[in-house]
Formats: sequence, C-alpha cells, structure tokens
Amino acid sequence: MKLSVMQENLARGLGVVSRAVSNRSTLPVLANVLLKTEDGGLRLTTTNLEIGLVYWVPGKVETDGSTTVPARLLADLVGSLPGGQRIDLETGANETLHVSAGPFQSHVKGIDADEFPSIQPTGERPTTRIAQNVLKRALEETAFAAATDEARPILTGVLCRFEGETVTLAAADNYRIAVKTIPILDPVGDTSVVVPARALNELMRVLGDTDDPVDVVLAQSRNQILFHLEGIDLVSRLIDGQFPNYQSVLPKAHTTRAVLDREELLRAVRPAALIAHESANIVKLQISANGESGITVSANAEIGDHVGQVQATVEGDGTSIAFNAKYLADVLEKVAADQFALELQGPLAPGVFKPIGDDSYVHVVMPVRTTS
Amino acid sequence: MTWHEAVDNGRATPGATERAGPRTILHVDLDAFFASVEQRDHPELRGKPVAVGLGGSNDRGVVSAASYEARKFGVHSAMPIRTARRLCPDCIFVPVDGARYQRVSREVIAILRRFTPLVEPVSIDEAFLDVTASRALFGDGETIARRIKAAVREEVQLTISVGVAATKLVAKIGSDLRKPDGLVVVEPGTEAGFLAPLPISRLWGVGPSTAAALRDFKVVTIGDLAALDRSALVRRFGKHGASLVDRAHGVDPDPVDDPDGAKSVGHEHTFDEDTADPEVLERTLLAMAEGVSGRLRHAGLKAGTVTVKIRDTAFNTITRQRGLPEPSDLTEPIWRTALELARPEMKGKKIRLLGVTASGFGVKKQLGLFEVEDDRQRRVVRAADEVRERFGTRAITRARLLRTGLPAPFERDLGTAVERRGEHAEDLDSGVARRRKRRDTQPDTAPSEDAFDE
Repeated sequence: MKLSVMQENLARGLGVVSRAVSNRSTLPVLANVLLKTEDGGLRLTTTNLEIGLVYWVPGKVETDGSTTVPARLLADLVGSLPGGQRIDLETGANETLHVSAGPFQSHVKGIDADEFPSIQPTGERPTTRIAQNVLKRALEETAFAAATDEARPILTGVLCRFEGETVTLAAADNYRIAVKTIPILDPVGDTSVVVPARALNELMRVLGDTDDPVDVVLAQSRNQILFHLEGIDLVSRLIDGQFPNYQSVLPKAHTTRAVLDREELLRAVRPAALIAHESANIVKLQISANGESGITVSANAEIGDHVGQVQATVEGDGTSIAFNAKYLADVLEKVAADQFALELQGPLAPGVFKPIGDDSYVHVVMPVRTTS
Repeated sequence: MTWHEAVDNGRATPGATERAGPRTILHVDLDAFFASVEQRDHPELRGKPVAVGLGGSNDRGVVSAASYEARKFGVHSAMPIRTARRLCPDCIFVPVDGARYQRVSREVIAILRRFTPLVEPVSIDEAFLDVTASRALFGDGETIARRIKAAVREEVQLTISVGVAATKLVAKIGSDLRKPDGLVVVEPGTEAGFLAPLPISRLWGVGPSTAAALRDFKVVTIGDLAALDRSALVRRFGKHGASLVDRAHGVDPDPVDDPDGAKSVGHEHTFDEDTADPEVLERTLLAMAEGVSGRLRHAGLKAGTVTVKIRDTAFNTITRQRGLPEPSDLTEPIWRTALELARPEMKGKKIRLLGVTASGFGVKKQLGLFEVEDDRQRRVVRAADEVRERFGTRAITRARLLRTGLPAPFERDLGTAVERRGEHAEDLDSGVARRRKRRDTQPDTAPSEDAFDE
C-alpha cells in the first residue's frame, strides 16, 4: 500500500473513527484502525464490535493495499503534524507503516488487516432517508435520557419506531423519558428497533446542520442498523429485547399547567443545583395556583440553601414537586424551545415538559419523594 | 408504692459524671404487658391467674406472658404451656393478640414522647428515655417518672415500672427491681453501691457462660465483680473484661438512641484466625450483607450508602464507601457493592476484621417510571424473612453460608425483644444493633415479654 493524503483530511477522519476504538478489548486488533485503499482514497475503519465507523479520506493512491495500526497513536501522530502538509503512507515489511510528512519520518508497527473484523456497511439500498439536521436535533433532545448503566440493557438504547412517514425516537432511564417524532423521507412499514444510545451519540457528532439526507439501512436480519453519509458510514448492532411500553407511562391528564420561559427556569435551576449537589441533588419547584404568578425554585442542603423565582402562567391547582436537579437541568438544556409547558398532577406524579408550539416532543421526569 | 434508693457510699463512679454533668435516663417497663392488656380489656380476667400464649396463628406452645397472679404459681414467660397448666390448673389461657399489644405499645410510646424526643423503644413493652434536657420543663427525673406513670395509668389504664439513673444500664436494673408499678431512683454517684448487693446475672453481658467463668473468681454479686482487679479480668476476658468492671460500677456510656434518628446499620466480624482466603472473606461479606439487609427490612429502612471496613493482620484499618444506584434493603446490591469496595483492598493481605455498614437512610426517594425491582425476588425475600421470623435466623439461609461456622451476629433473632448486649460485644457494633428495634414495623408475630420480668 502506498498513497498520499492531506494532513487535515486524515486528521479529521482519524478523529471521527477513533471514537469506535476499543482499547480494553481482548482482541488487540480492535485498538487499531484499518487502513485500506479504496476508490482512489483511503478508507479508515474502526469497531468496538458494537459500533463500526468508516471514513473515506480523499488521496492519491499509488499502490492498493491495507494494514492496521494503533488508532490512538496514529491519530495523535497525524494531529501533531503541521496542517497543509502532504502525508505519504507506505506499508513495509512486518506490517510496519511508514508515515512520511516533509521532514518527519515515523514507523508504526501494525497488525495484519486480515485479523480485522469485517464491517460491511455499503452497497445496500437505504430503507429510508432523514434530513440530517432534523435527525440531529431529535437525537440531541432524546438520546441523553437513555440509561448509562447496564442494569437494564434495553434502556441503554433508543427505541426507533418507524411508522409510515415518521419515526418516533424514545429514550428512557427509568426516571425520565424523552419522546420525539420526526418525518422520514421514504415511508417505511411499521418497524421498531432499539439502537444503542452510544451509537446515536456518535451519529449525532457526524451529522451536519444541513437538510441533506442521511441514508438509513435497517438490516434486522444481521441485527444491524446502518447510517450512510457522504464519506462516512456508521454501523451499529441493535439491542435485543422489548423496550418498555413507554406510552403507558406518559400521563394523560394534569391538574396544574405552568407555561414558563425555558431559559429563565434554567437560570433559576442552576444555582439551586449547586446547593442541591451538596446533598441529595434535589431541587424543589413550588407552583402557585391559577394566574400570572411564579414558580419558586429551591434547594436545601447542610451547606446552605437557595431560593429563586421564575415567572409563569399557571392554570389549575397550586402544587409542589421535587426533581433530581440533573434531570431538570438536562431537559432545560438539551431541548431547544423558547417556552415550555410543565404539566403536573401533584408531588408524586410524573412531571411532563412540552415545548410550546411543538407537539412532536414530550419529556417526562419522575419526581423525588421528599420526606417533608 | 415506690422505693427510693439513695445509698451513698462515697465512691465516685467514673462516667457517672461526664463533662456536661450526669444524664438523666429513664427505663420504662410495662408490667406483665400482654397479660395486663388482656385483664384490662376483659374485666372477668382481673385478679385471676392469666397466661397469654395459647392458640392463635402464632401458637408456639409456650407462655408469652403471665399475669402477676399466675406468676405466684411459678408460671413465667417462655414456659411450655403444658408445664404452666400443671403448675397452675386454674390459670386462664388466652391467645396472643399481637396487633392489639402493638397498638397499646404505640399509645404508651406516644405518651413517652411528650416528655422527650429522645425515646428509644427497646421492645414492645420497654423503652429508654433521655430526659436530661427535659428537666428544665418537667422537673427532675423522679418527677418526670411519676408524671409518666400517672399519664400511662390514666390514659392507657396500665401500670409501668420506671428506673431513673444516669445510665441506661442502671435505669434498666432499677425498673426491674420493684415490679409491678415500681419507681426506683438511683442518684448519680451512688451506682456502685446500688448495684453491689445484686446478683451478677442482672448485668448486661453476663450470660450463663460468663457467670460460670466469674464463679472461678468467686463472684456472686455485682459488688464482688466491682471489687475485682481490672487487669485480672482483662487477662481472662479480654476487652469484654474491662467493660464488665465498668458496668459493675454502673458505667455505661451508651446513649439513648431515637431509632428514627438511626444513621447506620452494620455488622463487623473479627476472624478467629486472620485469613487471606478469598472464599472465606467473600462469604463473610455475604453473611454480613445478609444480616444488614435483614435488619434494614425489619426496620423498614432502605440504605443509600454501603461502607466496608477492613482491618489487616497489622491492624491497618481502612474504610471504603460508595453510594448504591438506588436505596436498597436487599442483600445482593449491598453485598455486590461491599465486595467491589473490599476486593482491591483485601488482595494479598491477611485480614483480621471485616465490617459492612449500610447508611444514608435519609436519601430521598427517586420515583421510577417502570418498576424495575423484580417482584418475584421481593416475594422470595419476604417469604424467607417470614420463615426466619417464625423459626429463627438459622431456619433458612443461603447455601453459600451453610456450614461456614460464622458466629454470633448472624444468629440473632430479629424478632426477639430483648437485646442480649455484651455477649457478642467484640463482634457487634452494638450501638447500631440497638437501633433496629423499631416496633412500628413489627410483624404480627408477638414477641415474648422480657423473661426477666419480676
């Protein structure tokens, strides 16, 4: 294998694919990036057996070939080279990669490309396509709610429910749930898959702020989902199992509805969260009854306390409710809406956050039972 | 009919006067509780020999409580009913009505709480009160004791015996001394003289084996014990010996603990022989986690934090603490966390002592969207708890804990009212053990009354 690429192109590609490198695997080759010439450029592939990332770097190929080298090292090495520099890559004896960049010469020892697990992302007809910016926003508003601990593996995934011309994304970690419905460009018969949130977080990073579509390939027979963008492929395994019936836990009624400014509430929650952090991380909201009144945001800990006021338009009963400060801050930070409606049914029922003027999103947070 | 003990032999007792001055502690004991409740509610039983403990779903074939009339015939609690019938053919046997006694017990505790927030219920029929700070409001210990006695007699129509002293130990011995309807006040500084003539079996921590061993020292009364050379007892009994002497002098620094203020539940175990065997260490942690979780369930508490304590052969002691993902009262999460905390610290070391403590009961409860806890697991645990409650802690256990020879702390009967303190003093964090006896979560099996009732 012998080819040349531009430093910034290779650096960007390595930055993307190194997210799927597995340094702790029992398979040493998984810590490596697969380099393979293809279509007159260099294809970079990494996988941790859950996610596979493929990135195509344009270049000038002299001799086709392939090898694998430690991904982190190569990424750091290339990253340290000056921008605008042409880099020549050439494989030598004993799987050694010669990296040559102007006055700099490195040799990196690798592992035979045949040992790299095969990733077969391309060449399939997309099941559907979704505008990149639409999917990106939807993922930003949902994926954070997925569980990070493995107590219930199914909750570490995001349910993707394709129904005709929409897909509904739902993520939950037993204390909160985020649901968003977005349009898809090609209709799909009713299908549900659960995609690891870790994979979708990577997808989020590579999706652009453009309405150019990303291709989605549902390969359930292989237990995989594929996302294809210009020059980038992401393959993820699917999570087996039944996602909990989230619809049954979405409250259907409320006794209090407060319409409030998202940023204003976030500004009130932040200082309260600092105090709450010193104790059980509980922030209390007190909502006064009907009218143009306020919400009192408070926190108590041994170290001190905090109270803040937020304007709100309230319909219905006054009530109070306590939330984990992180869950409250998460929904307020991650969801891009100017105004929220907060719907409640007393201190022990789930709190529902709905962006005003956007029926496609709902976020539910379970309260904390306080002793007082 | 009260009795005021005020012997002053001029012997200052260490500990009776602390920096903040002597405490005033009351021990309140309901007289022949179950039997008295039956006599109160069934006038036809009054003045007659009554033994509680027949039939009912919890028939254990033994007397749970005997009225004072029945006691004259030699009937006492824990006696087989057959024996009781033989001793007292005229005895009226009535079934145990645990729920009713619970209710009455709660009424009495409510009265006690009017005098101080520091009420530590020890069992269904006795409690300690620290009234040190209440004296300014209600008068001295004796006055408070009289007012409590009057209130209980008036409002619940039962008599109680009260011991007033500067320590729990002496207060308890005091309440026991002049039953029924007794009041014994032991002034601070007079404890040793008060205790001296009493048999050593009155002391906490003196069980049959300790008593037998003390006979070698020709000890019969508490005074005999107090007069012994401290170092001789330490040589014979170790740390336990030192605390024996202290107690013989009436010294007991143990505070009155409001169980609602309990901060932790824990077990410690000192190995007979220091060990590095991972299987033994892990099994010990499991046994302790099992004990801790059982006590949490018994007290209706869930813990948010697990702490392990590891002491190696060189006496280096480390503690490691971690929060649980969710507050729990189950063995598995507590054990798993304890294991993860302890494993790296135990590696390659000979271990002398291990401890597992659960704390963080104040953790506020995050409600869940989907019920995660396996209901079947919960049912298994509950069934096992019921078996233990009825047939003893050893009746059902984990296969892994079978034949491990792990002693004391895991054998105690959670439902037993009387804390036999001191017997396992070296194995047990007794300060913590005490706190578990919250009677408001007591299951419907009725515990026996204090067998030492007079």
